[in-house]
Amino acid sequence: MAAILHIRDLTKKFGGLTAVDAVSFDVSEGGIVGLIGPNGAGKTTIFNLITGVYKPTSGSIEFRGKSIVGLEPFRIADMGVTRTFQNIRLFKNLSVFDNVLTACHLNANYSFAEAILRLPRFRTQEKALTAKAEDLLGIMGLLGYRDLIANNLPYGLQRRLEIVRALALNPSLLLLDEPAAGMNPDETEQLMRLIGRIRNDFKLSVLVIEHHMDLIMGVCEHIVVLNFGEKIAQGTADEVSKNPQVIEAYLGTSEEAADA
Amino acid sequence: MVQFLQQLINGLSIGSVYALMAVGYSLVYSIMNFSNFAHGGVIMLGAYFGFFSLTLLKLPFAAAFLLASVGTFFVAIIVERVAYKPLRERRAPFLYFIISAMGASILLENLVIATIGPTFRTYPEVFSKALIELGPLAVGRLDLIIFLISAVSLTLLILFIDKTKLGKAIQAASYNVKACALMGVNTDRVILTVFGLGGFLAGIAGVFFGMKYTVYPQIGNITTKSFIAAVFGGLGSLPGAVLGSVLLGVIETFVAGYLSSQFRDLIAFVILIAVLVLRPTGIMGKVTEDKA
Amino acid sequence: MDWTYIQGILMLAGINMIAVLGLSLLTGFTGLFSFGHAGFMAIGAYVGAWISASPASTPAGLGLPFILAIVGGGAAAGAVSYLIGRISLNLKGDYFCIATLGFGEAIRLIFNNVNRFGGARGWPGVPGKSTFVAILVADVVAVLFLANLVKSRHGRNMIAVREEELAAQIAGIDVFKYKMISLIISAVYAGVAGVFFAHYMTFIQPKMFSLTKSTELTIIVIFGGLGSISGSVLGALVLTALPEVLRAFEIWRLVFYGAAVILIMVSRPKGLMGGMELTPSGIRKVVAERNALREAKAKLLAEAQSGEED
Repeated sequence: MAAILHIRDLTKKFGGLTAVDAVSFDVSEGGIVGLIGPNGAGKTTIFNLITGVYKPTSGSIEFRGKSIVGLEPFRIADMGVTRTFQNIRLFKNLSVFDNVLTACHLNANYSFAEAILRLPRFRTQEKALTAKAEDLLGIMGLLGYRDLIANNLPYGLQRRLEIVRALALNPSLLLLDEPAAGMNPDETEQLMRLIGRIRNDFKLSVLVIEHHMDLIMGVCEHIVVLNFGEKIAQGTADEVSKNPQVIEAYLGTSEEAADA
Repeated sequence: MVQFLQQLINGLSIGSVYALMAVGYSLVYSIMNFSNFAHGGVIMLGAYFGFFSLTLLKLPFAAAFLLASVGTFFVAIIVERVAYKPLRERRAPFLYFIISAMGASILLENLVIATIGPTFRTYPEVFSKALIELGPLAVGRLDLIIFLISAVSLTLLILFIDKTKLGKAIQAASYNVKACALMGVNTDRVILTVFGLGGFLAGIAGVFFGMKYTVYPQIGNITTKSFIAAVFGGLGSLPGAVLGSVLLGVIETFVAGYLSSQFRDLIAFVILIAVLVLRPTGIMGKVTEDKA
Repeated sequence: MDWTYIQGILMLAGINMIAVLGLSLLTGFTGLFSFGHAGFMAIGAYVGAWISASPASTPAGLGLPFILAIVGGGAAAGAVSYLIGRISLNLKGDYFCIATLGFGEAIRLIFNNVNRFGGARGWPGVPGKSTFVAILVADVVAVLFLANLVKSRHGRNMIAVREEELAAQIAGIDVFKYKMISLIISAVYAGVAGVFFAHYMTFIQPKMFSLTKSTELTIIVIFGGLGSISGSVLGALVLTALPEVLRAFEIWRLVFYGAAVILIMVSRPKGLMGGMELTPSGIRKVVAERNALREAKAKLLAEAQSGEED
């Protein structure tokens, strides 16, 4: 299987602190890869490096064979890499619909002049954007909340809305940062199925950071384990959970993280 | 050479007044992360307090000086209580603080115009205009006194921040207000202290400014320059505010002396723009990378 | 009160409105605060005056038609804002705000020292071409332009920048570009307002465009409500007229004004309109949002109750 994301020797230093230390791994086309590790292992930093929020100190990140190091986040998003955030970052004061509609902007290309003069291309494209946004909300079961201000959504649905917003960009690689944080086992179960469905329906690859072991073990085909910025293991759920280093570094010493 | 040194001393004198003002901006910024534009109004009131203590109450200089500082100490605290505290409690974005500060600044300035009047007033001559001869240099008595008292006040301030428990709490809060609150530091008291300190020094600065120039309701606009000095040094850093102010005072005086006095006011803004382009965090400000 | 007097106030409000609408795009829709827009007004006023003033007057102008003055004044302000944006739009937090304050004051001080334009004494010979109708037309155009802009993908991208900059980046929005466009449009608005102002007053002076003027514009935007065009329109009308109404109180009116600003910030920070629009679709939107909130609450309540029964 070809790799859609190819990371080699990725390193990020903040002053004297090495947050990510020579990490290498791949995400295969259509794969679901889990990124796990105790708090402070450098997982979110890797997301920030992939999406261009931080510039790596060294190492390479290739998306579909092209280096994306040093590109601005919006360009990387434009190429088809998008993400959700650990601490939800919705457009809080906008309605659920407007959150998604805004993110649909890459599907339209009418100019400023066309918008201001309300020319035909503006009208047809806006109609298409509206349809697309409603479509996505429907698929993800949020159409019932269409006009609700995002901030008023229940917590679990806010996470889901973030995923919908990400999907509006037609990504081919979706990064999910602790999508099940704060969810009960029921909701986590639902989310697991949702992630699998999204991968199939939208034909994309997924890289997911998670503490919920059930979710990781249940949905990820491949798992990368980090500790103190270094990769200590990778493989299938089975392989990883039997790896003595992983047990010691992660499962063993940090029980509450494992079953949180 | 003599002229150069002469200018340098003038520059240091006005720079030290800027420093008294600038630390007020910086102290507040370090804790609350917004530019307290009402500070100019507090300084202006300090100039008036000193003026009326000397002329109406006929107090001796030291008493007038103290009265002005204590007066602005309370004004600064009242401004915090009225214009900022409700916003703090609501966790409003910093822009609301700035607008509220602008409102307070308009209020203070026009309150003075309405009650005292818009006229320019000249301080009575407290120190004789006679020059003090230091070798080949002739230094104005006032300039020398301003410089010395400012230097002492700023040293006391820095000692306070460094050595006292409350000062340490201010330092800690400037790193992380939330963490401090969790550790049991009374942030409300820290904030009041910061406003009180800034207000006290604003009183001193106002009196000096009034003595060196004149007193009028729009003094607050001039204090924008001390704010620029704080940015120059690095907003939120006390040593930075002092350094930025002294540099600005000296540069201004040299520009006025050697180039043209017309450019005197412009140079502050030129410096501001240069700093923002080259090093927005100022000379001593901390460079941070946002956590996503 | 005679009609001429009221008309005068309305014209001044109309001129303010143009600048306020521009600032509304920058502050209310893009989330950037500026304390330098009086500087852009000054550029518009001076360039406009230079284009339309008669070559025979002192300082001498080019004697060209008013419409060219409007175009020229707006374009000059826009061009300067581009340079300022290049330097300052990457700055974090209130450093952008500080930068605009610095630029605004610097522009004023420069005009103070340019004798060709009358220096600090000012420019007395600007033709009085700002008619009631001209201002009205300009206001209508300004409102329509803005309303159509914010209801397009471009406007939504600006709003996304205001709401959550990082999320906007990740959603593929070129944040710097949209901030820049917003700044330029707002500066052009301020410049055009400056042209109208100069041709209304027929006399301009650098000190008319001080920090106080910039602050006044920002205060009007906030008073009207961030993210609301109708709020900006109402704000400009109310707050331009208010000092006139309070004129009876003479010197106390600005004291009230300052107190009112604090009061608004402290008690009703959303301003008059707070993101709502006084249009049929705007009202429908608010109603839909309220209904959605009620339904969502009912739904959650029902779920919680059925959970308890299990």
